[in-house]
Amino acid sequence: MEFTREIYWNVGHGLLTLAPMYGLLLVALGVFVLGCLKRIRVYRLGQPVDRTDRRGERIRHLLATTLLQTKVFRVAGAGTAHAVFFWSFFLLFIGTLLIVVQADFTDLFFDVQFLKGNFYKGFSLVLDLAGLAAIAMLVGLAVRRYLVRPEGLTTKGDDALMHGLLLAILVTGFVIEGARMAVTEIGTPLALWSPVGLGVAKLLEGIGEPGLRTLHVGLWWFHLLLALAFVMVIPYSKFRHILTTSANAFLADLGPTGKLTSINLEDESTEKFGASEIADLRWKDIFDADACTLCKRCQDRCPAFATGKPLSPMRLVNQIGEAAFTDPTANLIETIGRDVIWACTTCRACQDICPASIEHIDKIIELRRNLVLMEGEFPGEEVMTAMEQTEVNGNPLGMGYASRGDWAEELGVKPLAEDPVVDVLYFVGCYASFDKRNIAVARSFVKLCQAAGVKVGILGKEEKCCGEPMRKMGNEYLYQTMAMETVEVIKGYGVKKIVTTCPHCFNTLHKDYRDFEFDLEVEPHTVFLDRLMGEGRLKVRAESFSCTYHDSCYLGRHNGIYDPPRNLIRAAGGQITEMAKNRDQAFCCSAGGGRIMAEEKIGERINIKRVRMAVETNADQLLSNCPFCLTMFEDGVKGADVEEKLRPRDIAEVLADRL
Amino acid sequence: MNILICIKQVPDMESKFKINSDKTWYDRADLAWRMNEYDEYAVEQAVRLKEQVGNADLTVLCIGPDQVKETMKKALAMGCDRGVHIADNDAHQREPLVIASMIANFTRDKNFDLIFTGMQSQDRGSGQVGVMVAELLGMDAVTTIVDFAYDNGTVTVKRELEGGTKSLVTAATPLVLTCQLGLNTPRYPTLPNIMKAKKKELLSIAPDLSGVTPGEETAACFFPEKKGGGLVLEGEAPELADKLIQLLKEKTGVLA
Repeated sequence: MEFTREIYWNVGHGLLTLAPMYGLLLVALGVFVLGCLKRIRVYRLGQPVDRTDRRGERIRHLLATTLLQTKVFRVAGAGTAHAVFFWSFFLLFIGTLLIVVQADFTDLFFDVQFLKGNFYKGFSLVLDLAGLAAIAMLVGLAVRRYLVRPEGLTTKGDDALMHGLLLAILVTGFVIEGARMAVTEIGTPLALWSPVGLGVAKLLEGIGEPGLRTLHVGLWWFHLLLALAFVMVIPYSKFRHILTTSANAFLADLGPTGKLTSINLEDESTEKFGASEIADLRWKDIFDADACTLCKRCQDRCPAFATGKPLSPMRLVNQIGEAAFTDPTANLIETIGRDVIWACTTCRACQDICPASIEHIDKIIELRRNLVLMEGEFPGEEVMTAMEQTEVNGNPLGMGYASRGDWAEELGVKPLAEDPVVDVLYFVGCYASFDKRNIAVARSFVKLCQAAGVKVGILGKEEKCCGEPMRKMGNEYLYQTMAMETVEVIKGYGVKKIVTTCPHCFNTLHKDYRDFEFDLEVEPHTVFLDRLMGEGRLKVRAESFSCTYHDSCYLGRHNGIYDPPRNLIRAAGGQITEMAKNRDQAFCCSAGGGRIMAEEKIGERINIKRVRMAVETNADQLLSNCPFCLTMFEDGVKGADVEEKLRPRDIAEVLADRL
Repeated sequence: MNILICIKQVPDMESKFKINSDKTWYDRADLAWRMNEYDEYAVEQAVRLKEQVGNADLTVLCIGPDQVKETMKKALAMGCDRGVHIADNDAHQREPLVIASMIANFTRDKNFDLIFTGMQSQDRGSGQVGVMVAELLGMDAVTTIVDFAYDNGTVTVKRELEGGTKSLVTAATPLVLTCQLGLNTPRYPTLPNIMKAKKKELLSIAPDLSGVTPGEETAACFFPEKKGGGLVLEGEAPELADKLIQLLKEKTGVLA
């Protein structure tokens, strides 16, 4: 026998079926397009931003995140279920498309049939199993959402619609198949190629052919209506994420990761800076809200949210969307709230995990820019003081600028002004220049360089803050002032390579300064030292010790540097016990986003929470690579009352001990 | 309403100070400069008053070398309308009366209703310039104000007195006010105001020293001599008391 089936069996061939079917499809598509246009009009309220460059890269990102579900897959459980459901539904969609192509095109016009023989057997089996998998995943997800319900999972009418409609489409599909098979296939070898359909057929068999035929044709039209309803409601419900989340993968910020957009301060016609209403944001910021599926992964990882602060990255993104679609002239700062806006540490945990390519941080920075540049507002007076100190002395600590290089005198390290011929320029940063605890790190780093025969120079009193904390706090004007001065000073010396001991300086010099035509090679000290060690130039004794390692946000998530620091620790004899949240899942120390300048007044202290995670490893030392982290941990071990148990240190210090 | 705010540019107090070669004042090298903090309160209060009454013109005045214009720009960005720079490279050597006279000579025919200034400067700290200006102009002065209210020509201020006592003073304009810590929190200039400040009038004029006879001369400027460090006694109270009595007997004459 021929392995195939009669398409439109029992429904009727020809115009009587095709005309109403395609008529309804046209209506559904019309409603769909109208819904899309309506939303596009709202996206266009935002400022322009080009997200169609680097197309190859964009298409690769789109295919990886949608077809391969790479980002969804990063969280097991619900993520896995979504991926399996997506692939199943995608196969069913392809299957339906093949039927349309054969029945309404190749067969209709050219008498060509391809759904037959071995291909049909495979086709039938794959779709049958896909349908079963889709139902299983859907039920699993419904149990999670409606019975278990993880904390923080927002559930609305949309979710019921999605679960209900998809389940109805899948179940009616099987009943239709079962009814047809009960009449035409039971007992034939072909039936085995639709095991689930066969099961249903056996259940229905008793109804008898006339009843089965009525059931089949009725459900066929009902199934069609459900499918068309699905198409129709896409732009009007959370189903829209099928389009928007996929599109957002194409429209994603391709980096450099964590580089902010510079405001053109030369343009004297600009009267407003930052964002206080929808029209000040980019269209992508509005689109992001439509791409959000409320999966809450961002919220689950947000250090501010986890410590009782009012910030939820998910809620913030959606508040922007809601404002755009309901009240575009609403004041976003009032809607979202100042405490929310100031709470962010720009740790990037939200943006990194987001399966929808949403840019949370940029929005928060735009709101902060408005508060700082237009209103002169800060999270507290201490931050305003730090800004003023930076204006006067070039550092937020308020130390006299002329003593910036004093720490290095006894090590024989000279400012470039005195000796410009060096192998590397060490951009020390404010904390390692002025803060006693971090000066120890700077000294250790210099000793390591000297041991490896690397000649290091510093800028001394010519060095100023790179401007990172000010920029992340919204003070773009002060940042650009600092950046331009720093670029000019460094370029004046013909430096070839810069090394930093602060990942914030690193990220800023390496990425943000590109906007000021600064393209010198910049390296964080851990990477630099790891290479010296690999080349055999730096040798340290391996003396066994137990430690845990904290991935700073700006070395880790912002720059993907996870292994060089660990290599160094192991080379020094360190046995690392990882904290539960490590590498790209690391929990911020609290000091990013300019929060190093601010008092943490709301909720639990983030640094203490992180220190407690380190204590759980039972390690003796908490190693890090960042002066802000070190400062926060020194404070955190006191706050958590574990000073005797856990010693926070920079990797450079451990290495220098073993020279 | 016509308001004058007198400000001074001072070194940041965190700077590393050295005595200059004449041994008469500090050396100006390697210092970071900023607005005298008490003058910031003066600027802020004047700007708030303008926001209250609407119709007011704020002139900020500063004496010193060209670099003081940087500090004046901050006052303009905070909300002053125009700047008058009395160009004088020797300002740092001048005694309070000479400075006050320069201000009075400029001010005399300008009919200012109010003059705000800091109660003292962070570097010289004489605390005299404000009151001397008032005296030279025959105006009333209220010093060390920590609270300010204005209503239709009447100024009501709180003054801070010794030991934290406050006094409430009511006075009529024209009036000189010197501002003390606690009066207000100076604003952070917004970017549009920083931009606008760049275009505001900032005139440099020569100092008018007429009618002034300097009477002071700095003989020497030096850091306080380093004396022996403090002594921290540790132990239980009775033991501490004995140690203290011992020390007082040995090192001082108070028990003799």
